[in-house]
Amino acid sequence: MGCGVSWPLCLLRVSAFQIALLLFTALAAPASTYYLTITGLGGEPDFTQRFKMWADDIDTSLKRAGGDANVVTMHVPSREQVRTRFAELARQVKANDTFVLVLIGHGTYDGVDYKFNLQGPDITAGELAALMDRVPAQRQLVVNTTECSGGSIEHLRRPSRIVVSATRSGTERNATVFARYWAEALREPSADTDKNEAISALEAFRYAQQKTTDYFETQKRLATEHSVLEDTGKGTGERNPNNDNGEGKLAASFAVVRLGANAAAARDPAKRPLLDRREQLEQAIEKLKFEKAAMPEADYKRQLTQLLLELAKVQEAIDK
Amino acid sequence: MRLVVALGLVLMGANALCAQTLQQAEARWKARDYQGANEIFRQLVAADPKNPDLKVRWGRLYLDHQQPNDAQDLFAEALEIKKDHAGALLGLALIASEGYEGRAADLARKALESDPKLVEAQELLAYLALEDNDNAKASEEAHKALALDANSITGKAVLATIDWLADKKESQWDPHAAKGYEVAGHFFVINRRYEEGIQYLRKAIELDPQLYSARSQLGVNLMRLGQNEEAYKQLEICFNNGFQDAATRNSLKLMDSYKNFVTFTTPRTILKLHKKEAALLRPYIESEMEKAIATYEDKYRMKLTRPVQVEVYPDHEDFAVRTMGLPGLGALGVTFGYSIAMDSPSGRPPGQFHWASTLWHEMSHVFTLTATNHHVPRWFTEGMAVHEETSVSPEWGDRLTPDVIAAIKNKKLLPVTELDRGFVHPVSPGQVVVSYYQAGKICDYINEKWGWNTLLAMLHDFAGAMETADVIRKELKTEPPDFDKQFIAYVEAQTQTVVTSYDDWKKGMRTLVDKVAAKEWDSVIADAPRLRDQYPDYVEDHNAYEALAQAYLAKGNKPAALAELERYEKTGGRNPDTLKSLAKQLEEAGRPKDAAAALDRINYIYPMDAAAHRSLGALWLVQNNPKGAIREFQAVLAKNPLDQAQAHYDLARAYQANHQNAQANDECLASLEAAPGFRPAQKLLLELSNSPEK
Repeated sequence: MGCGVSWPLCLLRVSAFQIALLLFTALAAPASTYYLTITGLGGEPDFTQRFKMWADDIDTSLKRAGGDANVVTMHVPSREQVRTRFAELARQVKANDTFVLVLIGHGTYDGVDYKFNLQGPDITAGELAALMDRVPAQRQLVVNTTECSGGSIEHLRRPSRIVVSATRSGTERNATVFARYWAEALREPSADTDKNEAISALEAFRYAQQKTTDYFETQKRLATEHSVLEDTGKGTGERNPNNDNGEGKLAASFAVVRLGANAAAARDPAKRPLLDRREQLEQAIEKLKFEKAAMPEADYKRQLTQLLLELAKVQEAIDK
Repeated sequence: MRLVVALGLVLMGANALCAQTLQQAEARWKARDYQGANEIFRQLVAADPKNPDLKVRWGRLYLDHQQPNDAQDLFAEALEIKKDHAGALLGLALIASEGYEGRAADLARKALESDPKLVEAQELLAYLALEDNDNAKASEEAHKALALDANSITGKAVLATIDWLADKKESQWDPHAAKGYEVAGHFFVINRRYEEGIQYLRKAIELDPQLYSARSQLGVNLMRLGQNEEAYKQLEICFNNGFQDAATRNSLKLMDSYKNFVTFTTPRTILKLHKKEAALLRPYIESEMEKAIATYEDKYRMKLTRPVQVEVYPDHEDFAVRTMGLPGLGALGVTFGYSIAMDSPSGRPPGQFHWASTLWHEMSHVFTLTATNHHVPRWFTEGMAVHEETSVSPEWGDRLTPDVIAAIKNKKLLPVTELDRGFVHPVSPGQVVVSYYQAGKICDYINEKWGWNTLLAMLHDFAGAMETADVIRKELKTEPPDFDKQFIAYVEAQTQTVVTSYDDWKKGMRTLVDKVAAKEWDSVIADAPRLRDQYPDYVEDHNAYEALAQAYLAKGNKPAALAELERYEKTGGRNPDTLKSLAKQLEEAGRPKDAAAALDRINYIYPMDAAAHRSLGALWLVQNNPKGAIREFQAVLAKNPLDQAQAHYDLARAYQANHQNAQANDECLASLEAAPGFRPAQKLLLELSNSPEK
């Protein structure tokens, strides 16, 4: 029955961490988002076709979302072409913008350095990190979906950068499927689990991770990739980012793609009091959820109902 | 000369040492000091590597220690030294018989040709004949064994077992020996008469408490009947005393894992499911169990006296432990009286397993076994079970496979009186599948020509311990060979097209697959219909239906693609992705009821797909089937989806439609608890709060 009416089970999912995430989300309002998706060498027609298809899928979702997005997709570029694009980004992007890099293709790891396979010479994780460092955006996301991508975390991680990798280490060497599901997450409403009409990096990561796990389970195959996320600048990547391991805070507040026009209301000064009340209610709900474990179930349900009903009425008024 | 004499003395000494040491090895073996005996055999063989007798005895030690692979190597080495070594041939025959291999009897016969006085080989022939339920032959071979050795325990045991299986309480051949009762126990078990088998195994260990092979079998069979406490105790005794064959080891391991299972009971059913999938599978399996019991009680005109238990294993290896040591395929499900064990739909790749078909098959065994007090021959109970699968729905059950086509073409179907042999001692792995098909078709044929009442009458005859030949004569008024001729004509008429065109079809399909890969759609559309009609039952990977549908879609002919997929579905196509695609196309074509039916079919094949449950729930909700929608949305939640808010909201809507507003309210709160800003749930909450209906 899942947690249909089983309140105690749901209770466990609420934490102070989520309250912090909500506040963080509410405060984050980036100017523009710059996206760069790069496909590497496929090696075989099947891979080449697959990489292109996934990258195009991402490209379509981002462009459909519109807004302030600046979307560029490069298919099998050379290292020089990548450098040139980063040089352009270094000039265009501002500090309060955000930047998203997605790598789709094959990767290698020799025990020391990770390389992303490009046309001509490959590019190392170290060089990619240096190129990203020159992009002024303070908030950055890099999604490395290749095999061995776990080997790139050490080079790419920074305190204000989210690093997602398809594998937990450089030694998972089988071709991956993570990119397929990352692309799916950006167009799939069910990935938006908090229903705020935006898919955060954490939501997309969890969606893609779950789908990848399901893929291997369904096929009755041994899982050869285990995606991780790092956003503290000092970790090695976590399978399950949460309050306990301190990973995921930045990713939760980083909107990769916006599905609706939820920002429009925020610009209407007449609705400011309602918006303030909504924020108060949301905070009160999160606080109540945090206190759930220590409350009698009936009290919790009564208070939650009261708050949610009021929130629903406030939202109705905002939407008018 | 002196040197020669000296050498002779040394050799004589060595022989004496060998003889003495061989006795020691045998003594240690008899005392169950396997390690000690093994060490002595190792030294003996090192000293005399060209002695096949030593290798054979060493091999028998390994066989006794449940290491058949090592034993087989030693027997093979002995045969390299002496190609007709009777003991080595017998050793290989014994190994083959353990695995119910058809070649066991040939090997035993070769051993007898090499040594006509080899009693064990003669005993094995009697044993194998009785495994085939060929009582006349088994009796003849057993008497031959007794002629060679009047004290042959196996010879007596086979003769006594023939009497006991025929419900004679006393037998002049009662061996009064532990090994003899172990033999009897084995035959009762393979005839699915587990409780009586257990009684004989108990007698065996009463006489010889150290006969761990019998004690282990006692434990395994107690487990089969759900008497786990005693089963565990017996198996643990075996394990602690060094008897650690695969059945003992794996059964103990399986019982240790039972803590991960949960049990659900109703007055008529007991369902054991793994915790991780219990919430999802319970509604589907429980309702099919209830339906099957009600249907069969009506059809078989009998009432079950206790609940039927079904155990569902998500790990196929766990399920395999339940069938270990039993003849036949047992690949998907197995029935022990009122207890069924089967694979979970999650245990196999999507589309490879129709769990509901398997469940109805096994439930049918519960009735045929109970109706005959477990006297039904294997071919008839399997035949009825296969017949029942397609009675539920024509697209259920197994399709005609290449193995069956080859058997029909090459006239390899067995006479009805020998059909048990195809299950118990198949000459090839494919023969078991063929035997299932043949048994099922025989029941279909009898049902069509003589009617259901005749099948029931046959069942009652078997309950009276009548043999197949007599039952055929009595109920079908024909001699078995004549029945075989009529039946073959019936099958050949039904399969004529596919049998005659199979080679052409195979060639054509290879080309078709290439054409699909090359996207030569016009050519696919031209060729595929003929190939489809040549072998309509072929719905596995790379089938003509899907190729054709794909080609039509590529050419923009949606109605033709849809028609082809519907044909695939009706013929028994089981690929969940294809069925989902069919449902989508049906919905687009404005046929939501058919779309829902297509998705519901997936529930009987692979109910692990949350997206399919959600789609079906949504369809049923708009088709005013809120109860169905509730079940489907509950299934989504049971999969613990990432999108909890949507899943709870969907269920809330279904409850609301079913006028269960209190439940709807709870689900709505759960949805908003996960995502307080989820507007559809907010609206529903307001609606529910304003509704007078609670």
